[in-house]
Amino acid sequence: MSAQGLTGPNLRHDRLPRRRAVNRLMETLAWIAAAIAVGILGVVIFSVARHALPALNFNLITKDPIQFSLTNAPQGLRNAFVGTIVIVGIATLMALPVGILVAIYLNEFAPASIRNAVTMVLDVLNGVPAIVIGIFVFGLFVVGRGQSGFAGSFALACLMVPLVSRSTMEILALVPNSLREASLGLGVPHWRTTLSIVLPQSVGGILTGTVLAVARVAGETAPLLFTSSLVGTQTSWNPQHALQTIPVAIFELSESPDPADHARAWAAALVLLLFILFTSLGARWLANRNRSKLAAR
Amino acid sequence: MRKLGPSTRIFALVALAGAVTAVAVGAAGASTNRQSATTITGAGSTFVAPLIAQWISPLGSAYGYELQYSAVGSGAGIASITSRTVDFGASDAPLSPDQFSACNSCEQIPWALGGTSIMYNLPGVKNLLHMDGPTLAKIFMGQITTWNDPAIAKLNPGASLPSTKITIAHRSDGSGTTYNLTDYLSSVSSAWSSQVGKGTAVNWPVGVGGKGSSGVSAIVGQTPGAIGYADVAYAISNHFSYFAMKNKSGKFTTPGLRGILAAATSDQKPAADNSLSIVNPPKKYANAYPISTFTYVIVPLQSSKAPDLKKFLFWAVTKGQTYAPKLRFVPLPKSVLVVAEKAIAKIHS
Amino acid sequence: MTSADLTADATRRPFTGRRLRFGDAVLQVVAGAAALAVTVLVGLIVWKVFEQAWPAIQKYGLAFITRVAWNPVLGRELYGAGSFLFGTVVTSLGALLLAAPLAMGIALFLTELAPKALRGPVTALVETLAAIPSVVLGLWGILVLGPVLRSTVEPWLHSAFGFIPLFGEPSSAGASMFTAIIVLTIMILPIVSSISRELFLGVPHDLKEGALALGTTRWEMVRGVIFPYSSGGIAAALILGLGRALGEAIAVTQVIGGGVSIQWNLFAGGDSLASKIAASYQGATSNLETASLIYLGAILLVFSLIVNVVAQWIVRRSARKHGITRGGHA
Repeated sequence: MSAQGLTGPNLRHDRLPRRRAVNRLMETLAWIAAAIAVGILGVVIFSVARHALPALNFNLITKDPIQFSLTNAPQGLRNAFVGTIVIVGIATLMALPVGILVAIYLNEFAPASIRNAVTMVLDVLNGVPAIVIGIFVFGLFVVGRGQSGFAGSFALACLMVPLVSRSTMEILALVPNSLREASLGLGVPHWRTTLSIVLPQSVGGILTGTVLAVARVAGETAPLLFTSSLVGTQTSWNPQHALQTIPVAIFELSESPDPADHARAWAAALVLLLFILFTSLGARWLANRNRSKLAAR
Repeated sequence: MRKLGPSTRIFALVALAGAVTAVAVGAAGASTNRQSATTITGAGSTFVAPLIAQWISPLGSAYGYELQYSAVGSGAGIASITSRTVDFGASDAPLSPDQFSACNSCEQIPWALGGTSIMYNLPGVKNLLHMDGPTLAKIFMGQITTWNDPAIAKLNPGASLPSTKITIAHRSDGSGTTYNLTDYLSSVSSAWSSQVGKGTAVNWPVGVGGKGSSGVSAIVGQTPGAIGYADVAYAISNHFSYFAMKNKSGKFTTPGLRGILAAATSDQKPAADNSLSIVNPPKKYANAYPISTFTYVIVPLQSSKAPDLKKFLFWAVTKGQTYAPKLRFVPLPKSVLVVAEKAIAKIHS
Repeated sequence: MTSADLTADATRRPFTGRRLRFGDAVLQVVAGAAALAVTVLVGLIVWKVFEQAWPAIQKYGLAFITRVAWNPVLGRELYGAGSFLFGTVVTSLGALLLAAPLAMGIALFLTELAPKALRGPVTALVETLAAIPSVVLGLWGILVLGPVLRSTVEPWLHSAFGFIPLFGEPSSAGASMFTAIIVLTIMILPIVSSISRELFLGVPHDLKEGALALGTTRWEMVRGVIFPYSSGGIAAALILGLGRALGEAIAVTQVIGGGVSIQWNLFAGGDSLASKIAASYQGATSNLETASLIYLGAILLVFSLIVNVVAQWIVRRSARKHGITRGGHA
């Protein structure tokens, strides 16, 4: 590898003070950059927490919203919390089997050419903007049929599959080949080996990938705008109709003139943020633990 | 017998979880399916949303109906009922012939009557300001940019107007309120009519867009010097000031019950498609507020929920109107009510 | 276990050329069907988007892409993507320009400068920034960032640099392309910095130490060794960040203000392709407007696909160049 710029004249000793000054400047800028990033994170989380305080009470999850309320009757966002649980739950049930099966196929069966091709397809799917997925599912399921929680779940599942696949593939690859060889040597069929030996070793990683995927789509708004946004105020567990969700509720409340609406939006945002943070960080910690456990074998 | 291996245990667990979820979801679906027979869903106009919100609980206690309404704007309401995503749509703008044919045997029925207020945020100016059509058109076209412009000062001789910049807050979504305002501006300004025109969404020369009447209200509330437009109920609930508009007879009127009712008397006979036009009424209606409008419910002539829909709509145009005055909606005039009831009766299953 | 076992070298799988059992066939078919389904899905997405956009494509052709117009008034309808393409380019490039140096700085900090104890926590914190949902950032943008920018930053920039057309009349409501650029910068910062960090960690120690042994300062070593070595990967990181910025609809639509014109003032409102779709889709007045909005989506899809493929190509090329196999370095 060529080390550019490190030629004799540039390293002259009499230029040392200037070179040291430039070095110090750059190091300071790097420290500042890191401070800015951490600072922004702090500011955003602090903002959310501070503004959420007025509405952070049990009403948030026990009461439905009241449209255009003329009184100060207590309201909350119960329909959004329930809807998110239903829609994200169904999306996970849709995405998990598909993601695992794709990873199994790519890692255990596919020849290199197909593996490269499908991996590229997964990366492409990962890069499709969420709003385009929303347009797609709208054209596929909503036109003529109406919005539904299922359509919303399908859209979220499209976003989850690449994430679940990728992390499952990583963990499947970490399972040592010697285990597979030993199992085969004992006469266990390939399919049994995969399901009974390889998969159980990977459960930790699969769980991690799933949790990360859930954290990613729990906050997705754009696909749900097209598939599950025409809702009233009542709580429903039925995914055959459109259900309110937390991100869509935050989106709608954010454009309201009423400060009480804003407070509820902040409170829902705080709950969402905490959920995503805890699950992401927890999943990453689990992933590191699993990886070191497998590597130590 | 062999103990169940770990993989089998895992898959049994997953399958069990899946089965439990399926049963739970199915049960939830079944139980709410029982309720959905009496759930009536609608979407559309934010203009009429305050009134519909008042109907939800009395309707529930009268007939056991669950009224679910999403205020997404008249444009989205028309789109939703056209694709039969909801049971009824609500729009302040009457449907165009193309929209009628796209909707495939729908009818529009006037069910409320209100006024669009031109709200503003000008801290420090206490008195109710006056405005007229041509000046308002120039403001919305960006030709008048500050509050102390001579044209505005001329209409308000007593007021001391600051030099604050005017920010226009308009709708970014398809809106019947926009239709009402642009209909009015087109009738008072030929420049507006030729350069911009009227519609539920137009190419706004200047201004910031907000989603829904709430979005516009939010911009007005947060921006000193802003001018926006929304159904007068929004101005009242947000404690915004609004202009007294000069009507054709020269009087400055406000979007109150008297002004809106006077405007409504200018067109008492709905057209063949049940639409009425009461914008900028002629001189003889001296007390009329010139930016008033009827607003319509759009229903398919044939619906699986026909009996419930008819009961709901009959209630809305009669009992429902008693909730109107406190929100500055005027109860439907008799002549319009007769036409509305005839139209509702046409819905069949 | 040797490290050789841990490399996912699937060409060494011990299962080729065996007798096929029924269970194997079933699993292979089912799993293969899943892989096929995912491939078909991507094709279906492209198909469905272009199918819904077809009425507008047919009517306007390719001229749509550069036309600056969006008039939904019935009878005068005319649509074009020009101003939204401009908005997308301005906001994405602006965010990239701001995020790139910041991300490089953060990555350098985490790999070269930070005390060992700080590295883990700060890395986690920067990745947490990526976990903030876009709607929450948009909410923060409307209610906190926008007003601050409107009342302090924009007027200051206008008074200090107003001679540059970029810094024209400050926005009145805090919603502007400038606010959108700041929000997008925050969103793409974590991606670019975490990829850069991994790249910098992969630079061989001997190269770095060799440079230092020659008497370079730390910055000269970074500039002379780390950057050239990782240049391919950095390009990929930037392109991935660009892809993220291109597709962001929700946070941008909340703070960008809306508008259909091409002008230089960053403090004016505007729209990107994605934000226009999010703002106008529900209330489209006619089938032509709906199709035109989806045409915008088709353009966005094509852009994202190109960006994605280019990034993947760069990653593959630089991985080959460095002889990196998955899971370790040569």
